[in-house]
Amino acid sequence: MKRIQVIEDLCNGCRLCQTFCSSLRTGVFNPDDPQTGIRILKMPGEEQDIPLVQCNGVCIRPIAGDDQPTCVELCPTGALVYGNLDWVQARRLELEAARKMHGLFKVLAPWKWPFPWVKSKKGAGRVEEGGIAR
Amino acid sequence: MRDNRIQNILRVNLSTGKTRLESIPEAWTAKYLGCRGIHSRLLFNEVPPGADPFGPDNVLYIGTGPLEGTPIGMGRLSVACKSPRGTVAEGSCGGFFGPELRRAGIDYLAIQGKADRPVYLWIHDQKSEIRDARHLWGRKINETDALLREELSDPDVQFRYIGPAGENLVHSSPIFGNRDNSGGRAGCGAVMGSKRLKAIAVRGSGGIRVADYEGFLKAYQHFRQRVGVGTSRDVWTPIWGAYGAPVIVRVFNDQGGIMTRNAQEMRWDEEKCNRISAEPYLEKYVTRAKACFCCPLPACKKQHEIRSGPFQGFRGGNLWAAIPSVFGPLLDNDDLELILVMAGMCNQFGLDVFHVAYTLAWAMECFEKGILTRADTDGLELRFGCPDKEGVLDLIRKIAMREGFGDLLARGCNEAAKMIGRGSEKFALVIKGQELEAIAQRNSYMVALGVAVSEVGPDHTRWYPPHPGHPGLLKNEDLSRLGVQLDLSKAAQGRNPEEKGKVLRWFTISRAIVESLPSCVFLVRDTLGFDLHPWHELFQTATGIRLDYSEFIRAGERVMNLDRAFLVREGFRRTDDQPPYRMATEDVPYFGFPKLDKPLFDRMLDDYYQANGWSLKTSIPRRHKLEELGLTDVVQDLEKRGMEVEP
Repeated sequence: MKRIQVIEDLCNGCRLCQTFCSSLRTGVFNPDDPQTGIRILKMPGEEQDIPLVQCNGVCIRPIAGDDQPTCVELCPTGALVYGNLDWVQARRLELEAARKMHGLFKVLAPWKWPFPWVKSKKGAGRVEEGGIAR
Repeated sequence: MRDNRIQNILRVNLSTGKTRLESIPEAWTAKYLGCRGIHSRLLFNEVPPGADPFGPDNVLYIGTGPLEGTPIGMGRLSVACKSPRGTVAEGSCGGFFGPELRRAGIDYLAIQGKADRPVYLWIHDQKSEIRDARHLWGRKINETDALLREELSDPDVQFRYIGPAGENLVHSSPIFGNRDNSGGRAGCGAVMGSKRLKAIAVRGSGGIRVADYEGFLKAYQHFRQRVGVGTSRDVWTPIWGAYGAPVIVRVFNDQGGIMTRNAQEMRWDEEKCNRISAEPYLEKYVTRAKACFCCPLPACKKQHEIRSGPFQGFRGGNLWAAIPSVFGPLLDNDDLELILVMAGMCNQFGLDVFHVAYTLAWAMECFEKGILTRADTDGLELRFGCPDKEGVLDLIRKIAMREGFGDLLARGCNEAAKMIGRGSEKFALVIKGQELEAIAQRNSYMVALGVAVSEVGPDHTRWYPPHPGHPGLLKNEDLSRLGVQLDLSKAAQGRNPEEKGKVLRWFTISRAIVESLPSCVFLVRDTLGFDLHPWHELFQTATGIRLDYSEFIRAGERVMNLDRAFLVREGFRRTDDQPPYRMATEDVPYFGFPKLDKPLFDRMLDDYYQANGWSLKTSIPRRHKLEELGLTDVVQDLEKRGMEVEP
């Protein structure tokens, strides 16, 4: 079963998912709309806003085709992923491996950006070691 | 539910404790858009010339615009007042305050008068309350944030506050929010402190309706395509969006664009430069990214923590390119941890990093030249390279608290140099009394002209980015189709004075529009510097106002002319639009770039004023230009005050 999952370490807390989701039904941007399936978790004493998603991924207004919910499509960091548990697990492992190779992957999703400016074969996005192939 | 056409303003009089909600004329939305544009109009109308910046007559405006609260607003918030130096003080900051204010049903705040004791303002869905803030007075930014959060016990309340520096009226202290975001470095924080307003807290529960949702969605997707990390055609977008801005330090260093040791040299040791660049920062210190409201970039802004060493446990965030360049090479300091701590302390005390860095650099040069001695600096060995780290950090605290030697530096580089004298004025790097920023001038004439003519003092965000876009993306024909007449090949040459006036005029106008919507000026990449159609479309669909593209552009021109009119009404003239003495009289060593001498600079100034329709002699906007923009009342106002408005 495909679900929307949040990779918290990647989330930059922009709240775009919540803001946009709230508008899809009514055309009104209101993050506090109770109909919205996304709530923001704020850590006390931290500048962090992490989304909690309660949604089956069947988006009422998918702007990029039916198999991709709008919030996942628009997420700027790749912190929101849509897939079954195996797929999400693989992405998380990929991120962990990429982080060990390059500091950049503290903040970026390696599967989302094949960097045009990295030329080496050991290129940042392609993680072969550790058995986590793309 | 808000209609984006009609904006309103909450007037708060701190002297009487009364608040009043007023509508802003509906026509203003098409004429000045919002945010910075409306602030320019309000400033010109309501702050009389010669008003004491720290007196009750000065008004502090804090406001958003018609696109705030939608994902295009990016949380941008404009703060404006008359600066303590007499210029316009306008700055924009990100975070989450703007959308919350709009959702509370308020677009603008005008803070008038002066409270008799420290207060803070609590706004909850159009209801406002002035509360006692004696327990917050004197607290640092992070402490104020924590205390207010506890007091209001709602995690979604957003704040804007000042630190001890703002309370002590330190020259050019900005207003802070979300701990690390700041705006209005021309002294808006000091003006807020003079009104004894410690903080503004806001919580809203309304929503923002856009007029044409389907159109807006389409325009938004197109916009994301143009600015996205993976899809933008600009080479700089992915680097900025992912690594963050500090990579530019190294690029600038190769081009003779790094002011080293108070700009005595323009080149820094490569190894030192590598030590403070973005890669070590990302690998060792960054903990996570933290964006502003609905930003489409993944990691423009990050948070960091120092995990070991003498500063273990020090946390902060929002390290943009300018911070390592001013606390690094300018002070010849290659200790990235010290840079992080210095910047973090500025944020905690509510200081402006540029003010602190340039004033320290000036004081260091004075010390090395023997103009200042240990007797003046409270015994501190104030040398380049920051050998006494603890001493320098304590000095930053003293600047904010105005203690001892810090009191001199708290007045700003310009005033301190005037007080000390003995030739130290010659290396005070200031324009209109305000310290420079990180971008160098003698290698890029666009920058030199831009910082010199800016109405708020040196401010790169008024025309950022300082290059006309990637040359492969634009042709002269495309430009003329967009209504811009200029020769791109000449405009793109850094040290060619030709076309710079015209480019700068266009950049200033277009960035005024972006900041008035508001939207983030740092997203102006790709060909968006010239092509504002995406924003035009977003504005139309969000507000439902049909506006010709040419009228949209003229709104930006109106804003810019109003700013200039305010500036000349305060007595600033062409002679104030000049580069700092050092840049005007010294060639760049090693690279051999010439100084910005008078004939060269005059030529660019003439071009710029000519293109704008301003007087070449005085820089006062000319009558035909103001009338063409529908600003006849400005002409009358200037003439009433005996100013010579040329036809």
